Amino acid sequence: MAMKPILEIRDLEHVYMKNTPLEHRALSNVNMTINKGECIAIIGHTGSGKSTLIQHFNGLMTPQKGTVIVDGEDVLNSKIDIKALRRKVGLVFQNPESQLFERLIGDDIAYGPLKMGLPIKEVRDRVEWAMEMVGLPFDEMKDRPTYALSGGQKRKVALAGVLALQPEILVLDEPTAGLDPRSKIELLDRIKKLNRKENITIIFISHNLEEVTYMADRLYVMANGTNIIDGTPSEIFSNKNILKENNIGTPETVEILYLLQDAGFSIDSRQYEVDGVANQISSILQYFQEVRANGISV
Amino acid sequence: MASQFELTRNITIGQYIPTGSIIHKLDACFKLLSFTIMLIAIAICGTYFGNIVILAFSIALFMLSRIPIRYGLSGIKPAIPFVVILAILQLLFYGSVASGGTVLVKSGFILITTDSLRLVVVSAMRFVEIILISSVLTLSTSTTELTHGMERLLKPLKYIKFPVHEFSLIITIAIRFVPTFAMEMEKLMKAQASRGAEFGTGQWWRIVKRTKDMFPLIIPLFNSAMERAEDLILAMEARCYTPGEVRSNYKRYHIKVTDIMVLLFSILFSILILFYPFPY
Amino acid sequence: MEKGLTIRRIVVAGVLSAIAILLGVTRLGYIPVPTPAGNATIMHVPAIIGGIMEGPIVGLIIGLIFGASSFLEATVPLFKDPLVAILPRLFIGVVAFFIYFGLKRFNEYVAIGVAGFIGSLTNTVLVLFMAVVRGYMAPKVAIGVAITNGIPEAIVSIIVTLAIVASWKKIGVSVKQKSKISGKF
Repeated sequence: MAMKPILEIRDLEHVYMKNTPLEHRALSNVNMTINKGECIAIIGHTGSGKSTLIQHFNGLMTPQKGTVIVDGEDVLNSKIDIKALRRKVGLVFQNPESQLFERLIGDDIAYGPLKMGLPIKEVRDRVEWAMEMVGLPFDEMKDRPTYALSGGQKRKVALAGVLALQPEILVLDEPTAGLDPRSKIELLDRIKKLNRKENITIIFISHNLEEVTYMADRLYVMANGTNIIDGTPSEIFSNKNILKENNIGTPETVEILYLLQDAGFSIDSRQYEVDGVANQISSILQYFQEVRANGISV
Repeated sequence: MASQFELTRNITIGQYIPTGSIIHKLDACFKLLSFTIMLIAIAICGTYFGNIVILAFSIALFMLSRIPIRYGLSGIKPAIPFVVILAILQLLFYGSVASGGTVLVKSGFILITTDSLRLVVVSAMRFVEIILISSVLTLSTSTTELTHGMERLLKPLKYIKFPVHEFSLIITIAIRFVPTFAMEMEKLMKAQASRGAEFGTGQWWRIVKRTKDMFPLIIPLFNSAMERAEDLILAMEARCYTPGEVRSNYKRYHIKVTDIMVLLFSILFSILILFYPFPY
Repeated sequence: MEKGLTIRRIVVAGVLSAIAILLGVTRLGYIPVPTPAGNATIMHVPAIIGGIMEGPIVGLIIGLIFGASSFLEATVPLFKDPLVAILPRLFIGVVAFFIYFGLKRFNEYVAIGVAGFIGSLTNTVLVLFMAVVRGYMAPKVAIGVAITNGIPEAIVSIIVTLAIVASWKKIGVSVKQKSKISGKF
C-alpha cells in the first residue's frame, strides 16, 4: 500500500532570539514524514524542542530554515490560507483547560466553527459530534457553565473545541498531564478512537512510555533539538542498545522483561505490552509449578 | 510573522545592568529618595537655564553610572516623532493659553509668544532629562533592591498606620508575576489562534464587538490570575503569614557617608535649580 | 467588610497590578476602536476591578503601581511627567469602589457596569486635566479627546469589567442561560 504523507518536515531549524546574546537553538535538522491515519508519538526530555516543533505544524511558527509541508502544501507558500491550515491541523496545547473563556460549554466549543462563519445548523452538528467524541453528553452538558466542571472535564471541553474544527491532523502536547489515572485512560481511549474510527492523524507529545506503547504506531525521539531516532514502539523498546545509547527511559513492562532475562529466563522482548508481559510471566510461573509438582528441587 | 506571538522579549521590566559603578553601590533607599526629590524639582523647573543645567547633570550621571548611553537613548528614540508633533501643536495652538510674555508671531489663529515657546522647549528638555535620570535609577538597581529600598524609605509612614511592608509585598508579587502572565498570554494567543481567533478585525465602529473579540484572551488571563492568587493565598496562610506583624530582614543595611552626601547633594541641587534667579 | 490589608487583598492587589503592568508594556492593553488615538486602553481596568472586588485601598494601590509603570515605560513626554502619569491613576479604583458600593444594593450588574464606566472616565478626565494644568495640551483639545477617546474607552471598560467581575464572582452575566447553539434549527 502506497501511503501518502500528510506531514513532511525537512531540515527544520529554529533559533530563538537570533542575533542576541540570549540566542538559543531550539531546533536543527529535524526531519519527519508522517502518513495519513498514523498515530505518532514524539518523546524527548524537557527542552528537546518538542513544543517548538509542533508549533510549526499549523503555522504558529514559520520555518527559519527548512520546509514544512502539510498535505502537499508548503507552509511558507505566501498564498497559503493560514486559517485553513489551522483548521486542518488542530493543535491542543498543554493544559488546554486554561483557554476556556465562554461561560457555557456549548458556546466555548462552538467558538471555532462560529468564527469560520458556518451556518448555525452546521455549527450545532459539529459541536454535537465533537462532544460525543470526547464523551460529553450533548443535550445534558451544552448549556452548563464551564466553571463548575472538574479539571478532566474542562480538558475534554477544550479538546472538543479543537475537534469542532474537524481537523485532519490532531496534534496534542502532553494530553494527559495532570489527570487522574482513570481520566487518563479514558482520554487516551477517546483519542485512539478518533484515530481508528474517524481516521484522524494523531501526533502527540508524551513523557509517559506506557502511554506511548499503548497508543503509538510509530514514535520519534528528540534530543537537543533534533530527531535522533524513530521507529515502531516494538523496534525501539525491544532493542536494549537503542534505549541505552539514546538515553531513552524504559517502559516498566520492558524493564520487567529485561530483569527476567538477566535472571536467566528466556523472554521475547517484542512481547512488551502489558498483556504480552503478563503471559510471559504466567508461563514462567507455570513452569515453576510444574517443576514443583514433579517433585524436582530447583 | 513568526514574532507576532512573542511577547516575553518585549518586556524590559526589571532590566538591570551591573557595571559596579559608584551609582550601583549606593544604597537603594537613598538613591530612591534622591531620585524622587530631583524628579519633583525637574517637574517644577520651568527656566531655560535651569533645564540646561539639569540636562548636563543627567548626562553626567549617566556617564558616572558607566551604563552604555544607548540604553538611555533607546527610550528617547521611539519618542522623537511624538515629541516633534507635540512641540509643533503646542507651538501653534498654545499661544492663547500661555499668552504671557511678548508676542513673537501672530498670523490668523496662530499665536506664538515667548511663554508658549518656553513651554515647548522646556517640556521637550524635561522629557529627555526624566528619561535619562529614571533609566539610571532602574538600570543601576535590581528590582529586589528597589523594593527593599522603598520599603525602608516608607518606614516612617508606619507611624501614620501606612502598611509599608504589605505595600512592598504587593509590589514584589506584581513584579514576580509579570513574566508569568506574559508567558501565559503568549500561550493563550497561540491556543486561540489555533482555534481560528482573530484579534481586532471586523468593522471598526463596532466597539462592543471589537472588545468582545479580545475576550478569548482577557478572560482566561484574569481567570488564571485569580487561580494563582487563590493558590498563593493558601500557601501564605499555610505558612501563617500575618499582615501587620513585625518581621525581621535577613539583610542589614548600614548608612554610608556617600549615601548621605548624595542625598544632601540632590537636595542642594534641587534648591539651586528651583530658586536660583536664572536670567531666562 | 474587614478593614486593612488582609492576605487576600495583598495577593489580589499584587496579581492585578501585574496584569496592569503587562497590559501596559505589551500591545495587549490596547483595543482597536475608533478614537483619535486609534485604540482604547484597558490598562486601567485592573484598578477598577481591584476596587470593586477588594475595596478602595486595593484599588488605590493598583492605580499607583499602574501609574508608576506607565511613568517608567512612557515614551511620550506627557506620561514622562509623574503628575500626569501617576497622580490621576490613584483615584480610578477608589472612585470605582464607591460607585459600586453605593449602587450595589439596587442591582449588582448595574453597580459593576457603572463603576467600570465612571472608573474609566475618572482616568480620562483626571489625566487630561493634569495634562492641561501641566501645559501639554490646550483645554479645547483636551475636551475633544475626553469625548472622542474617553467615551469609547469607558464603554470598553464597562464590557470588560462586567465580564471579568461576573466571571470571578461566578454570577451569570445575562438572563440567557442557553448556549448559542441551543434550540431547533
